[in-house]
Amino acid sequence: MRLPGARAASPTLPEASLATTLASFRGLVLRVRGAMGDRLGERRFPGRPQPAGIELEAYAAYAPGDDLRHLDWNAVGRLDALLVRRFTAEREVLVHLLVDCSASMAVPARDGKLVAARELAMALAFVALAGSDAVRVTLLGGDVPARETPVHRHGWRQGQPGSSVVRLAEFLATAEARGTLALGAALEDHARRHPRPGAALVISDFMTDPAELERGVLALRARGYGVVLLHVIGAGELEPAREFRHGVLRDVESGATHPIALTRAALERYAALLAGHLAALEALATRAEATYARMSTASTVGGFVTGELARAGVVRRR
Amino acid sequence: MTVGILNPAGALGLAAVAVLVALYLYDRRRRVIPVATLFLWKQVPARPLDRRRFRPDALFLAQLLLLLALVAGSLRPYVERAAARAPAGRLVLVLDVSASMQVREAGETRFDAARRRARALVDALPPGDEAMLVTAADRAHVVLGWTADRDAVLDRLTALAPLDTPTRLGAALEVALGEARARPGTRIAAFTDLPRDASGVPADALAAVDYVQIGRTDDNLAIAGVVVDHPPFGPLADVTVTVLVKNYGHAARSAVLEASIEGEPWMRRPLVLGARASEPVLLTGPRRAGVVTVRLVVDDALAVDNRALAWIAPADPLDLLVVTDSREVGTAFERIGHAVTGGHVEVVNRARYEEEPLAGRRAAVFDGFAPPSAMNALYVAPPSGSRICPGGGVADEASVVDWEVEHPAVSGLEGLQGLGLARVRRLGTPAWGASVVRAAARDGDFPLLVVGEVDGRRVACLGATLGPSLASSDGLPLLLLTLGTLRWLSEHDGARVLAVETGVPSAADVAAVAPAPGLRVAGDPPVVVAERAGLHRLADAIVLANLFDDRESDVGREGDRVWPASARPPVPSDTSGRREVDWWLYLAAAALLALEWLVWLRQEPV
Repeated sequence: MRLPGARAASPTLPEASLATTLASFRGLVLRVRGAMGDRLGERRFPGRPQPAGIELEAYAAYAPGDDLRHLDWNAVGRLDALLVRRFTAEREVLVHLLVDCSASMAVPARDGKLVAARELAMALAFVALAGSDAVRVTLLGGDVPARETPVHRHGWRQGQPGSSVVRLAEFLATAEARGTLALGAALEDHARRHPRPGAALVISDFMTDPAELERGVLALRARGYGVVLLHVIGAGELEPAREFRHGVLRDVESGATHPIALTRAALERYAALLAGHLAALEALATRAEATYARMSTASTVGGFVTGELARAGVVRRR
Repeated sequence: MTVGILNPAGALGLAAVAVLVALYLYDRRRRVIPVATLFLWKQVPARPLDRRRFRPDALFLAQLLLLLALVAGSLRPYVERAAARAPAGRLVLVLDVSASMQVREAGETRFDAARRRARALVDALPPGDEAMLVTAADRAHVVLGWTADRDAVLDRLTALAPLDTPTRLGAALEVALGEARARPGTRIAAFTDLPRDASGVPADALAAVDYVQIGRTDDNLAIAGVVVDHPPFGPLADVTVTVLVKNYGHAARSAVLEASIEGEPWMRRPLVLGARASEPVLLTGPRRAGVVTVRLVVDDALAVDNRALAWIAPADPLDLLVVTDSREVGTAFERIGHAVTGGHVEVVNRARYEEEPLAGRRAAVFDGFAPPSAMNALYVAPPSGSRICPGGGVADEASVVDWEVEHPAVSGLEGLQGLGLARVRRLGTPAWGASVVRAAARDGDFPLLVVGEVDGRRVACLGATLGPSLASSDGLPLLLLTLGTLRWLSEHDGARVLAVETGVPSAADVAAVAPAPGLRVAGDPPVVVAERAGLHRLADAIVLANLFDDRESDVGREGDRVWPASARPPVPSDTSGRREVDWWLYLAAAALLALEWLVWLRQEPV
């Protein structure tokens, strides 16, 4: 895991080292807009009163079928109206960490997008587990079925990373970038396989058509997922002149080629297209009531989690 | 101003230019760059690169200039001011102008041949080159200093002529080598008839000299010496002249020796000399005094040594007044007077002389006192406090340690070193005279015989005491010294004659005069050097100059030979006017590095 200021780290950390690495994320919890599980848990969701619970949140007019145990007899006596108590919902949020493992995550090679994605996934899994959320990690591989972990809970035990954290780290270490991936379709498939609502944190370079991506996001949203689009973008993609000045570009997923010479006009054109693409992603997120955040591989995961994601409200202090 | 480099090996750095071009060509190859997706790039117009055409851009030019500046700096270039630049070439010509260069063979003299070859060298000098002319005779003489005027050099060469003197080639070569050391890059060419190993200069020094030896013939007969034997106070008939004739050739030669006195024929003697043989010829019975001319009638290669001059002085009879209180001294002089033909000695005591000073003699001897005299006088053992013969004190057990061999009073005396004196008067050196014999005792040396002129009279002071042994064999050295001095005092007031050898400095007993042709006179007291054999007149004196030099007369050589210089003087390394500019180039490289960085930042990427 890449600490704030660190250049690179491996997700296959021993437990002791993992504890040190993840310590900076302790005290953080995930807050994904629109994400609420249907399983009782410790996470309270104010504004979503339910008939049963611990913390009183509101009153509602009695309707047939309501549990009479929750009638407020004092209100009946004073107001002569049947009011029942509604309680703050307490749910467990199942956080789905969906990591794009297509071949595009391997280029530009020196940017290490996949490494950054794995580190980011590990960090978010830890934060989720530390916040009593459940975590499932899914590797969206190209040309192969997605691989995923069981749901993990209780990531931190007696001040040390629990076995869940270690197993997740080992699982993420097996991620390899290869093949072609239609991310929108992969998200749709994931929504079909896991219809129960939760939080879907999609980590990808999103080097795909936003329209195709939007299908998948909407599919998740349709099943009650709160969606966060975490865009890992290579520094070489932001500034291609760092990588080359001329040559034949080859799409690592499709194999298509395109000769190019980075003239000033070409660079300006690319910069405009990239800005448009990023704007389209943000617009997609807005439309789908999802959250979009972008991390350059030139920055650190720690800085991104505690900085950009905190500003976006995805993580916050307990 | 000239530009040069100190490190030519730095040019190897130019290979980096080729590396730079190769890197550019390599960079322009058709590279495949994997990208995550093309859906953005496909909207950027494709622009294939023509990899076969090399199109240097501003960045490449900046890098090329940077590289060239570094390579140029590594060459250590310098700029040299014109003022500090050595001339394109320098040549020192050393010409032997000694007597042997007058040898005539093959239709020309050796000097003509040397001059012809020297002239060819001067003609071949590139414009702007400088030359110097040094002659070697009895001395080294820079006859023409450094000049780039080739016509002046040629004119000076034309005006040169060989002298009648011996050679001191070594001195001239040292002058030339000194110039070469002071001005590195100078060539030296020496033209002489001396063999290289006889030049007087070490072989390693001669390595820097183009040495040209000229001459072959050994056909030469010479008068190697003339000795006039004139017994003191003897008659003219007793005078003999001995002429030494040498054949320096390797073949027998015949010749005729002719002698004349003041142009009047005296004697003619045919001679036959074997190879490398010499023969003394005795000439007797001269009929008159005067300049004797001895001439070899022979057709040989060198003429200057076929003639010699000598001087037969007029016969001066012994006419002496001796004033002494010593009977023994008086008797000794009387016996001498009787022994000399025509001699007349009058002996009186001091009282007699003081009563009536006598005069009319050619010379007087005053024993033990020093009165004024109207005659030429010899003061023997003058008393302390004498005005004429200053000095003081007495020295015991003294002996003669030095004398002026060229002074007429002691010339020809060989036994003075054996003259020991039990008791002598310490003389001083008066203003009117000079010490010609010096003696030494335990407490230092002092004049024993002082001679000079006082009021037009010749005066001599002798510190020794004359005793009864003067006329015996025991007192022979002192007798000879006394008689020599009396002869000088009795000389006829005629022509003063100085017999010298050419090229040999001789004391000239004359007042400072302008040098005569063929003579050099310099110094105080003046010294005369004859450059030409023959009779010269110097003020009221006659100078008879002869070439008596075996090395000059022995003219045989092995033929013309040339020893080219095997080691040239180093090229001028004077860096006083040189300024290295490599650091400027390195600074330029640093500036170009900054420029290259700016170009890289601002360049339209391709």
